[in-house]
Amino acid sequence: MWAELVQHIVNGLIVGGGYALMGIGLTLIFGIMRVVNFAHGEFFMLGAFFLFTLFSLWGLNFFLASLASVLAVGLVGAAVERLVLRRLRFAPIEIPMLATVALSVIIQNAAILLWDPSPKTIKHVFSPLPITLGPIHVVSIRIFAGAVAVALIVGSHLLIQKTRIGRAMRATFQDTDMARLAGVDVDRVYMFTFAFGAALAGASGALLGAVFWVYPAMGDLAALKSFAVVIMGGLGNFLGAIVGGLLLGVSESLGAGYISSGYKDAIGFILIILLLLWRPQGLFGKKTLPR
Amino acid sequence: MTRVWGTVVAAVLLALPFLGVDDYYLHLLIMAGLFYLLAAGMNLLLAAGQLNLGHTAFFGIGAYTSALLGLHFGISPLWTLPAAALFTAFVGCLLGRLTLKLRGAYFVLVTVGFAEVIRLVATNWMDLTQGPMGLPGVPPFNLGAERWTLVSKRDFYYLMAVMAGGTLFLTGRFLRSRVGRALAAIQSNESLAESSGISAYSHTMLAMVVSCALAGAAGGFYAHYITFLSPELFGFQNTVTMAVMVVAGGQGTVLGPAVGSLVFTFVPEFLRMAAFYRMLLYGVILLLVVMFMPRGLVHYLRALVRRREPSPGGGASDLSLGPGSAAAGGTAALALRHVTVRFGGLAAVDDLSLELARGEILALIGPNGAGKSTAFNVVTGFQPADAGHVEFDGADITDLPQYRIAERGLVRMFQRTSVFPEASALDNVLTACHRLARTRLWELVLATRAQRDEEARHRRRAQSLLDFVGLGGKAPEPAKNLSCGEQRLLGLAIALAPDPSVLLLDEPAAGLNAVETSELMRLIEAIRGRGLSVLLVEHDMKLVMGLCDRIVVLNYGVKIAEGPPAEIQRHPEVIRAYLGSGEILADA
Repeated sequence: MWAELVQHIVNGLIVGGGYALMGIGLTLIFGIMRVVNFAHGEFFMLGAFFLFTLFSLWGLNFFLASLASVLAVGLVGAAVERLVLRRLRFAPIEIPMLATVALSVIIQNAAILLWDPSPKTIKHVFSPLPITLGPIHVVSIRIFAGAVAVALIVGSHLLIQKTRIGRAMRATFQDTDMARLAGVDVDRVYMFTFAFGAALAGASGALLGAVFWVYPAMGDLAALKSFAVVIMGGLGNFLGAIVGGLLLGVSESLGAGYISSGYKDAIGFILIILLLLWRPQGLFGKKTLPR
Repeated sequence: MTRVWGTVVAAVLLALPFLGVDDYYLHLLIMAGLFYLLAAGMNLLLAAGQLNLGHTAFFGIGAYTSALLGLHFGISPLWTLPAAALFTAFVGCLLGRLTLKLRGAYFVLVTVGFAEVIRLVATNWMDLTQGPMGLPGVPPFNLGAERWTLVSKRDFYYLMAVMAGGTLFLTGRFLRSRVGRALAAIQSNESLAESSGISAYSHTMLAMVVSCALAGAAGGFYAHYITFLSPELFGFQNTVTMAVMVVAGGQGTVLGPAVGSLVFTFVPEFLRMAAFYRMLLYGVILLLVVMFMPRGLVHYLRALVRRREPSPGGGASDLSLGPGSAAAGGTAALALRHVTVRFGGLAAVDDLSLELARGEILALIGPNGAGKSTAFNVVTGFQPADAGHVEFDGADITDLPQYRIAERGLVRMFQRTSVFPEASALDNVLTACHRLARTRLWELVLATRAQRDEEARHRRRAQSLLDFVGLGGKAPEPAKNLSCGEQRLLGLAIALAPDPSVLLLDEPAAGLNAVETSELMRLIEAIRGRGLSVLLVEHDMKLVMGLCDRIVVLNYGVKIAEGPPAEIQRHPEVIRAYLGSGEILADA
């Protein structure tokens, strides 16, 4: 009874770590660039497919392949910012949003052509036998995924708080014009932010892709869930994205275990509707609603 | 000219089934009409700046409602289709109550989530919807009896023509009237809209309900036309298609969604030739459209067919403003009674009481941080008071929403964001005439004589107000092209448009040069001459001393002096509060 509950929570936390990574990327991009990235799910999917290609098809070392995949997704993100979003920076909010929708159609269909639509698995290097801690069983790839997610979250935090580019990002977040006046290269901050957010989504995709399945449409649901995560946590709020991600992972796991697995994917949005009744600005959002 | 073209296009479209057009193309045109209903609704809400990326949920709800009523109760589609539209509007109203307070990206993401929840319900509620297997055997459309069942594509084509024509008419009436102006105002400057007496909530709600009703009707039509439903109706891809139609056609315009839905129904069909690459190409086209024609096709067509701007119409100046002369009423026009506002431990306004007499010009002055703006914000409902009351015309208005306060005749002019930048100067003022409208919504839709007269009257009023502030020649100019001083004058005309009895001016002379300031003083004097009372916050001592009947001085949220200018200039505590700046007072 209790063991089952704890098992659900542990499973939820591991998946939630992946959601949190997605959410951090999305929330950084929105907070700094005011762009809702509807191609976020496609970066997630690309992370998984790059890993599949580099590791399963080309036989690269698993860890090296993971690292390379994440960097490659970051490069795709940088290209998208440079070629598309930079031209739309001063357009009304729905224009860059629809541009990312179009990009998601393009990337997803390119993936279908490149890798065909059938689901694939990544036969990773970890033992399929679960590790047992008392009554809890967790397969080692999941422990790996959870640990990497934690490391990336902490790393992102340090990057934003302790580095030069992080300081430039925080300055741009607060006031773009002032940042520019103070000598911050805002173009570079935007490009880095988008690439970094995309890379985090790619990392999430690579991790969860190694645990579950890899297929071109896998990003759709992941994107929807990262939307839920950032609304829960407040758009543009770093801590909110982490808490939102973990909360969503755990409540989905519990919901699927105790209520109904069919509605598992709706739980995030039902939580949001309840949250809106209580705190329209999100868990950590400021009282004033951003426009 | 436009009218001629419109008639020609409509006649050709209506004649098509008799010109030997293939059923396949009729089907595409029917689908284009269907998507037009959806895109037009989305466009209506987008006019207020709210993008509903879950619109397909309402399409699906309408479809399932009409289909299930037909399947289970055997009711004719003639009745289930309107029922579906009504029910969908009701659902939209519920969702609107929950989400319309949200703005921008929040609203977008919540609507996306809503559609996903509805999709999952449709997939999992097997008893009701038969889940992913779908709902076959929906009864075909009939006009009330089995004998009058629509069978051919031509029959459905004409039914859709009626629905699409109705939608074009309805959305046209909305977007080209005060409702459309109000929606645009909410998008461009919500605070100013509210302070001009436009309720953002009720207007976005109206747009939401109409938009959902249209989606419900489209869903009902689809159900009885295709006669098979599946949860795929709720897919995000459908909403994307609608959004692209709106943007590619021209958002905010009446014809945009129609053009967009025609083009983007046919384009994917032509792309079938590309076989495997079809969706990839489709994505590329979407991206190019968004990047290179974000204003939409209609914008480019319009450059070809020049529209005739409705002129405000000449004739005598038609300016009713204020009671004419200061009425000798018993109560004060405006009174603050023991108002206190605290920010944390700091009292920004501390037990402030003051009265504004009818026909008086009263200035609120004080050093920076004295609490002048906070006091202003309390009066206009921007900032709740922690204690005390605000009375207007003897009635307590303390906790009323902004637009209600404006409706009663207490209007403020903002210091910086005092105009709607995209609209023409005339439309700026016309928008703010909203409060004066007496005709009802149905009169607006039917364009009754009373409604058209009212519109013409308001147009003349707006022009007269522009003349009054000296901007008569700038009527067609977009507000953002006006100079800083001209924008301030336009702001004044906007504030006067709802015919207020009390005007609040927040640093009206800030950023103006000496010539502009004296012109402004002349205008404020003229406004008072028409019986209005004026309360202003100002740093320009020349204006304050030269114009005001009385002055109230605040320091650290407390009233330290009150009286006529001459008295205030000699008041020892005032001089102390301004420290060295006592000289400024003596200067004036």
